[in-house]
Amino acid sequence: MTRNVMVIDQRRCIGCQSCTVACRTWNELPLDIVYNPVMTDGVQGNWPNVHRNWLPTLCMHCEKPACVPCCPTGASQQDEDGTVWVDYAKCMACLACVNACPYGMRDQSKLEPRLHRFVRKCTFCRDRRAEEPGSMPYCVQTCHQKARIFGDLDDPESEVSKLINSVETFRLLEDLGTGPQIYFIPDLGGKA
Amino acid sequence: MADKPSIFDEGVECVKSLCYFCHANCGVLAYVKDGDVIKIEGDPNYSSQGGLCCRGTSALLHVNHPARINHALKRVGEKGENKWEQIDYDQAIKEVAERLNQIKAESGAEAVASAGGTTRTDDWARRRFLNQFGTPNGFHNALLCWIPTFMAETCVAGWSPFETDLGAAKSLILWGMNPGASTLGGMHGYTDLQKAGLTIIVVDPRYSETASKADLWLPLRPGSDSALALALLHTIIFEGLYDFQFVDKWCDGFDELRDHVIDYSPEWAAPITWLDPDQIRQAARSYAMNKPGCIQWGCTWDQNGRASTTASHALALIRAICGNLDVPGGDGMPGPALNFLTDEEMEANECLPEEQKAKQIGSNKFKLTSWPGYQLISDNARRKWGKTLPSEWFCEAHGPSVFKAILTGDPYQVRALICNATNPVNSYGDAKMVLAALKKVEFLVTVDYWMTPTALQSDYVFPAAGALERPTIVTHYGATDSLMGGRRAIQPKYDRHTDMVFWRKLGLACGQDPAMWPWETEEEAYWDIIQGIGLPISSYNEFVDNVRMYYPPLHQMKYENGGFWTPSGKVECNSSIMRQLGYVGMPTYIGSPENPIDTPELLEEYPLVLTTGGGIMPYHHSEHFQMQGIRYIYPDPYFSINPETASEMKIAQGDWCWIETRRGRIKMRAGVEPVVAPGVIFCPRGWWFPERDAAADPDNPFGCLESNVNVLTSVDDWDCDCMGGSWANRGLLCKVYKCNDLDNAYKPEDAQWSIPGSASEPGVTVMPSDQKLCREPIPFEMPQPTKEVPEGFVWTWQDDQLYQESTGFRLDESGWLIDPKDKGYVDVYTGWRYDANQDCLFDAATGQKYTMDREPIHELAGIRIYPGQAESGFELPANLVWDIEKGYATKPGHENLVYNPDSGWLVDPETNVFYEVTNCWAYDPTFNGLLDMATGKKYTMEYEEIAE
Amino acid sequence: MRHHYWEWPIPTYLFLGGLGGGIYCLIAVLTLFVFPGVAAVPEVMALPGFLAIVALGFGCLMLVVDLGQPMVFYRAFVRSTSVLAWGARLLTVCMIFGILWFASYIPWDWFSGIANLLVPAREFCLAIAGLSGTCIMLYTGIFLSTLKAHAFWATPALPVLFTVSALSTACAAIALSVGGWPAEMSLDAITESMNNYIFAEVVHELLHIVDVILVVVELVVILVMVLSFLGAGNRTANKVAHKWVTGKWAPLFWGGMIACGLVLPEIMYIAAPHSVASSVIAPILVLCGGLLLRFMVVFSDERAPLPGEEAYYSKLPDADAEFIHKWTYGENLF
Repeated sequence: MTRNVMVIDQRRCIGCQSCTVACRTWNELPLDIVYNPVMTDGVQGNWPNVHRNWLPTLCMHCEKPACVPCCPTGASQQDEDGTVWVDYAKCMACLACVNACPYGMRDQSKLEPRLHRFVRKCTFCRDRRAEEPGSMPYCVQTCHQKARIFGDLDDPESEVSKLINSVETFRLLEDLGTGPQIYFIPDLGGKA
Repeated sequence: MADKPSIFDEGVECVKSLCYFCHANCGVLAYVKDGDVIKIEGDPNYSSQGGLCCRGTSALLHVNHPARINHALKRVGEKGENKWEQIDYDQAIKEVAERLNQIKAESGAEAVASAGGTTRTDDWARRRFLNQFGTPNGFHNALLCWIPTFMAETCVAGWSPFETDLGAAKSLILWGMNPGASTLGGMHGYTDLQKAGLTIIVVDPRYSETASKADLWLPLRPGSDSALALALLHTIIFEGLYDFQFVDKWCDGFDELRDHVIDYSPEWAAPITWLDPDQIRQAARSYAMNKPGCIQWGCTWDQNGRASTTASHALALIRAICGNLDVPGGDGMPGPALNFLTDEEMEANECLPEEQKAKQIGSNKFKLTSWPGYQLISDNARRKWGKTLPSEWFCEAHGPSVFKAILTGDPYQVRALICNATNPVNSYGDAKMVLAALKKVEFLVTVDYWMTPTALQSDYVFPAAGALERPTIVTHYGATDSLMGGRRAIQPKYDRHTDMVFWRKLGLACGQDPAMWPWETEEEAYWDIIQGIGLPISSYNEFVDNVRMYYPPLHQMKYENGGFWTPSGKVECNSSIMRQLGYVGMPTYIGSPENPIDTPELLEEYPLVLTTGGGIMPYHHSEHFQMQGIRYIYPDPYFSINPETASEMKIAQGDWCWIETRRGRIKMRAGVEPVVAPGVIFCPRGWWFPERDAAADPDNPFGCLESNVNVLTSVDDWDCDCMGGSWANRGLLCKVYKCNDLDNAYKPEDAQWSIPGSASEPGVTVMPSDQKLCREPIPFEMPQPTKEVPEGFVWTWQDDQLYQESTGFRLDESGWLIDPKDKGYVDVYTGWRYDANQDCLFDAATGQKYTMDREPIHELAGIRIYPGQAESGFELPANLVWDIEKGYATKPGHENLVYNPDSGWLVDPETNVFYEVTNCWAYDPTFNGLLDMATGKKYTMEYEEIAE
Repeated sequence: MRHHYWEWPIPTYLFLGGLGGGIYCLIAVLTLFVFPGVAAVPEVMALPGFLAIVALGFGCLMLVVDLGQPMVFYRAFVRSTSVLAWGARLLTVCMIFGILWFASYIPWDWFSGIANLLVPAREFCLAIAGLSGTCIMLYTGIFLSTLKAHAFWATPALPVLFTVSALSTACAAIALSVGGWPAEMSLDAITESMNNYIFAEVVHELLHIVDVILVVVELVVILVMVLSFLGAGNRTANKVAHKWVTGKWAPLFWGGMIACGLVLPEIMYIAAPHSVASSVIAPILVLCGGLLLRFMVVFSDERAPLPGEEAYYSKLPDADAEFIHKWTYGENLF
């Protein structure tokens, strides 16, 4: 079995937002859709003893996604490798999944014509991976800092499983029980 | 939804291209189908490792952006009305050329100037045009970006030590450099090396992306870089942290330097830099004791106005005395490329007459980076390296002074300006004055992607080809010996043209010699440039496809063989070139233009420190504000202010505020975060609003003054660095207050300009010629030659040597000339090179060899012959005869064959077939035997017949 | 933070759906269990039944209008076991059988053929409509409470609250419309009309009492829900509860929903029975209170924010920012 996950190394991220723009151009997204916002809770502390963490996000491709069972049309679905995606041909944009997502990682574009909208979300670049097996999601490829690492958690040789099994990681809103598959390596202020 | 085009579709070609949106020039793979790029990706096999930032990834949006200029435009309305007529490109070129020629005839070529921005990376075509046209007044923002630093470093050690050998380094100083927002590929490397143990020291008044990853971060007061650098130098010298052996052997004037910096202690610097003396000491120790170490080049030292070169000069000395020059793990000094054509060799500097050089605006004041200093440095580089640095970037008119000349006619009236790849309103200092100059200049031509505030004032606007539409060659401004290349993915769309084609067409239309412009495309020119490398390829595109990145073999410690490349041959702690130009030869403290110590009277009204010029990620200079996908994540200009300061002023996150200096004010939104120290304001640069109606407000077209930080910066001569001419972007005093309901719009009076810059006294109150410099020149008396100087030679006082004027070769005591490129001997009288292998002279121009007595050496089929010589100089085999007339031994009956005494074979010069001497059988390599041509019989090498 | 994905049509739909479902639930209970076999009872309930159909229909319209692609709303019926899909089916069922039931009472001559055809199936249709109506009431609350991302919704109290509120608004709506057309249309038989009038009053009285109870129950449930979030609950729900009780929405909550939507009508019901206040104003207030409740709950869709989420989205431009609309791809300016 393949279980695709992403590890995001906060020690390396510098908040350049390249992934955001890269994703936007590769997926030809409307302006107001951002699949992978790079957030930060700002510079913390008192000058000059300050610290900032960048939090690049994307769809968490949860093990038990909240956004799939709530979909009335079956457009919102999950592949065997864990990828959660929306079949635009089935979506009617009722926004049930949008409201179900605890991470705010789905939305419809308000810049598209009023009656022709559908819910968009990150697909782990399903199209790229289908075209060329082994290729990375575009945000992973474009990251200069290599802060995003993508791979198969079920493969003990993959970089992601090595990282997850050796470095302390955390996941976002884990207590909701959806089993998010994006693992973050925290920047604790030491050397990367 | 229609199926998206796939890179695996049939007919899709993958082209190795380079990004062109900033100087990093990351590798791009462009997937092209039917002449259109359908997708791009970062090139994983390029040094950028497949990474592409916001700017790079939006290249496709750039190609087809509806606001791109696609045709040549001729103004039909008033300046700034945004009314245009589309005209034929060549017709526009013709009309512009006629006008330029007319201005040249009336006012001299110097009345035509050209402004540049950040062409990436070669821009020799502009200089080639200007030199042939005869004007010295080309300029870029080079003075804010590395060039004064380069020149100061070259004064100290003979070249800028900017190629860090980080792999072997133990410590690294990133000074005001933020690769986390500027060169992401570099940042990746730093992070990896840091993980492997490299200590990174970041000097930055801002908690930048890079500072956040630093091992040691020195958050100094903006503009106090010179004080910090001097204090570091002081600490390293007086704590004895420098490399004693190196200093002893290779540094000239170290004792003078030690006495000179004795007062610049960390305690002295502490109140100026807001740092703790121990912090400064710690940094000095960290760098000097973790050897080898690197100081990464950056631009920050060039943006502190009058304190600029002091800092870079001090740092150049720190590097040197710590023995980190050109050593493994230190700062490498590549020197100019010796095997391919440097940018300088493409510039045709010989076309510019001496009297025109003297007219270069600003060269009487800011000498280090204009003809006076460049000439000294360049002549010296020619003598020491054999080639020199380009005059483009390194020898330019002083941009702000050109704009002042347009407005005042002082020192003379500049009548025409060609802006290529720049929007000076947003990228040069004192934006209000620049806008006024652009409005006033008699004839303005712009080459750009977009309708910028500058293009709006133009008479003609030419469309420029963008990133994927041009081949890109990375020669690092002609300052290094490596080279990288990218192909153009597609031909320029519409009527867009690349820069070289623009300058070439304009040159030819102005009547320049077509022989000087032999290349119709960049690819042809680039092929000429790289041919000398000698790779087995036959075109530039082949180079990209197969090589792409060319690095010559790494040579370090080059100074061990022939010394440093300064005039004296040593690291000059008291720079002779600087002294010769009328400056102090050692770094001497001067405060930033506005500071509490030198200008306390300002403090009451302007209590905060302003720093500008730093880059923020999605944008590059004044670019990309049209790119919606980028703009969306950073829609408004935000300045940084510490929460402590903000709360005193009741400023909350996101509030629109006025930021004001003596010269004017701008509007930005408050980013309240402890990202800068209390009392410090950081403003991003370049902001304008291309989405606005251009003609709506002629005082402020596209809102180009409204949030433009250059309204606040100063270009007054006394605020500029007296050596390099850098104007003041950092360490200025300002105040900040919230926009209120009555005062939230940019008013016409906010756009009022003045020389010198002042918001309270509009108009010209001091003529540029009367503006003083921050330091008076120090008279320098040239020493007289100590020996007789033969004609055609010059004597250099620093090393007491004679150099041939035309070649720059040194006249050795042996009587030979020494070529610095390979340290080879050259004959003084003929210029022929000595070939030690064959003990002969060689004329590289004709390929002719000569004996040591300068007699020509004749050769036939590679065999030396002696026509007219009575007897052979060697023993003749029995059945051969000597042909006096032809001068070689041959076999009777086979007079066309030449005997080679070295190999013992006869050779047919026409077919290059070998014949053995006895029977005149030909050697046949196919069976490694001999063949009797007459009978067709075959023999072994032992003359035994081979049976068929 | 990005929220308020659902705009006004959804709370309106939830309100109308609950209202319609509640009305059919009550009609069915009254007709089939409280007064079985009394023909006048369903007759006086015809207008409320009609209103329920209108409410359900308009509610469905709201739901469809809120879709990104309204034209393909039928996709909701194709597959899936999702709560929303069940809701859509229940609504359809309730509406169809409600219409069939109502159609059997239409007194117009030209229609009598069809009406008479439907008369034997009246009770069956009503039973189905009532059952599905009951489910709709439950569904509106369950629908939100399964979206666990929103802490304020993720409570079992919400379906209870919505059900009680649906019933209470249904009572109010019936009280306002009971005995109206088509019962009044059939004046040809005076006795029948008298009969109808009496039963209308009986139903009225009954529902009055029921509503008095329901309003009290609703008051208790809502206070329990909100105050328990206020006291404990997770951070997000707690924050919302504070917004309701002491924050920005306190006037709406206390003044609008509690005072005007529940307490005031309750006082009117009890203190001034048979007055205009009790029979007209109080039910209208209850209806308004119910609508307000749906709006306030749906717009309380705060999620637990990711670190920095708030700041990130607040920095993004407004949807009408000039640069967003300035350039249209495909058009060349120069």
